[in-house]
Amino acid sequence: MNTTKKTVLHGWHAENGANMALFGNYDMPLWYKTGAKAEHLAVIQAAGIFDTSHMAAVSVHGAGARALLQRCLSKDIDTCIGKEKTPLADGRCAYGVFLHADGTVIDDAIVYQLQPESFMVVVNAGMGGEIAAHLQKNIGENSASVEDLTDRVGKMDIQGPESARVLTKILRDPAAVFDRMVYFSFKGGFDGLQTSPPVELVDGTPLLLSRTGYTGEFGFELFVSIDKLAALWSMVLGAGRDEGVLACGLAARDSLRAGAVLPLSHQDIGPWPFLQNPWPFALPWNDDNVAFSKDFIGGSALLQSTWSKHTLPFAGYDPRKIGAGGGSFVTSESGERLGTILTCTTDMAIGRVAGAIVSMAPNSDFQAKGLCCGFVLLDKKCSPGEQVILTDGKRKIKVEIRSDVRPNRTARSPIGKMLA
Amino acid sequence: MKEFNELAFKDGLRYSNDHEWVSEKGTTLKVGVSDYAQDQMGDIVYVELPEVGATFEKGDEFGTLESVKAVSELYLPISGEVVAVNEDLGDAPELINRDCYANWIIEIKPADMSELEDLLSVDAYRELLKG
Repeated sequence: MNTTKKTVLHGWHAENGANMALFGNYDMPLWYKTGAKAEHLAVIQAAGIFDTSHMAAVSVHGAGARALLQRCLSKDIDTCIGKEKTPLADGRCAYGVFLHADGTVIDDAIVYQLQPESFMVVVNAGMGGEIAAHLQKNIGENSASVEDLTDRVGKMDIQGPESARVLTKILRDPAAVFDRMVYFSFKGGFDGLQTSPPVELVDGTPLLLSRTGYTGEFGFELFVSIDKLAALWSMVLGAGRDEGVLACGLAARDSLRAGAVLPLSHQDIGPWPFLQNPWPFALPWNDDNVAFSKDFIGGSALLQSTWSKHTLPFAGYDPRKIGAGGGSFVTSESGERLGTILTCTTDMAIGRVAGAIVSMAPNSDFQAKGLCCGFVLLDKKCSPGEQVILTDGKRKIKVEIRSDVRPNRTARSPIGKMLA
Repeated sequence: MKEFNELAFKDGLRYSNDHEWVSEKGTTLKVGVSDYAQDQMGDIVYVELPEVGATFEKGDEFGTLESVKAVSELYLPISGEVVAVNEDLGDAPELINRDCYANWIIEIKPADMSELEDLLSVDAYRELLKG
């Protein structure tokens, strides 16, 4: 039976006037009283916090844990760090997808190496059980234990240029915590999911602090024991009052991630082969782009696939959208049917100046009206710059196929620069 | 989302089940959306308006409101000819969020004033939302 689930912050969302909706079977905030536009812009210009405790985590421990993940995850965790392609190490994390044997997507994930034989796998809402079962089923000869931690992990995100400055006020020894904390690295731990050294809040609460996120902007994901999440949420919000930190709902999360060309699992990636999309970095391609550097579940199906469709990012010329799904589709300018719309939302922080996309990134005087953007799934490849038509059968909107959407994103900016 | 007791209503208007309002008196009538509608939609980012001079039957789609969440069709609660559109909404669609009763969307010359009788009074509309 499907019963609606609530996160531990549900009461806070309700008290603060959130417009709620179901997402992954959780009753989640779409936006608060400030509205989704202000929330989206807060992440671009200051910082925003998100309740992400609907997301699930799975722990994988044991001498065979690494081999099990290497067998199941699309990313090659032996060659995934930096230009030197060094192996995943303690305190580093990697993005990849879990595939069925036929190369279609179960879910996407970030894998955290806590210790050489201890990993945390963060997946989407409601997916903890399925991913844990998938890992369990594929243990084979590997000595590993897999545990679904659904609803036992407290998680929130802070995203935006002021994120580190806000956390400085609530972390014990922030300078040490932020030292050499590069994109896709993490420190600390909680509830036995621990890497060294520990990270603590000023009140002594242990947390795992990860320089990752789902907005394309500079920021962090914070993991704590589930019973500490409500206090952490209030603490971050209070600490960020002077910086203009806003609580943000799923609408802003969706529009930010679409502008950052990040996929939504089960919408932009799903029951079709994980190929010909904007995320080839999640696959272990060799330099020649014809073979994979490792054998993994779904890999050989992808290499033999005759999949001919292409997932492509697009951006429009004004904020107008066409709802994805339903009866909407994509055509060429001459009306030839080309495919379907996967995501269509409005990135409120961007606009066009003489055709080029400009962002309201920090220190910019530019006032954006917003541009629609998202992903289309087309029967043929279109190149960046080509125009296609999105339509629901009645309204038609011309959009441009893009290689990227929102410029001047800060996700990879050095932490020192963000604190300067 | 606003609680029922936080919603704004305005006297002197007739309301449709689709949450549009029409002014009650005059030779031309203004049309907009209710506080409940704008609150449900969230931030409005674009308003698609009809041409002045276009005529519509009661219940016809005359434009769309685009919010961050979705595209919502606007249905005309009463037949008539569009005599004006609110040009201010082109540059500032968020005016509807700010004050949905002051910021009308179109003005129509009604074909049949008696159609107003089919619409809800402010009290009946309150009852509809109370559920």
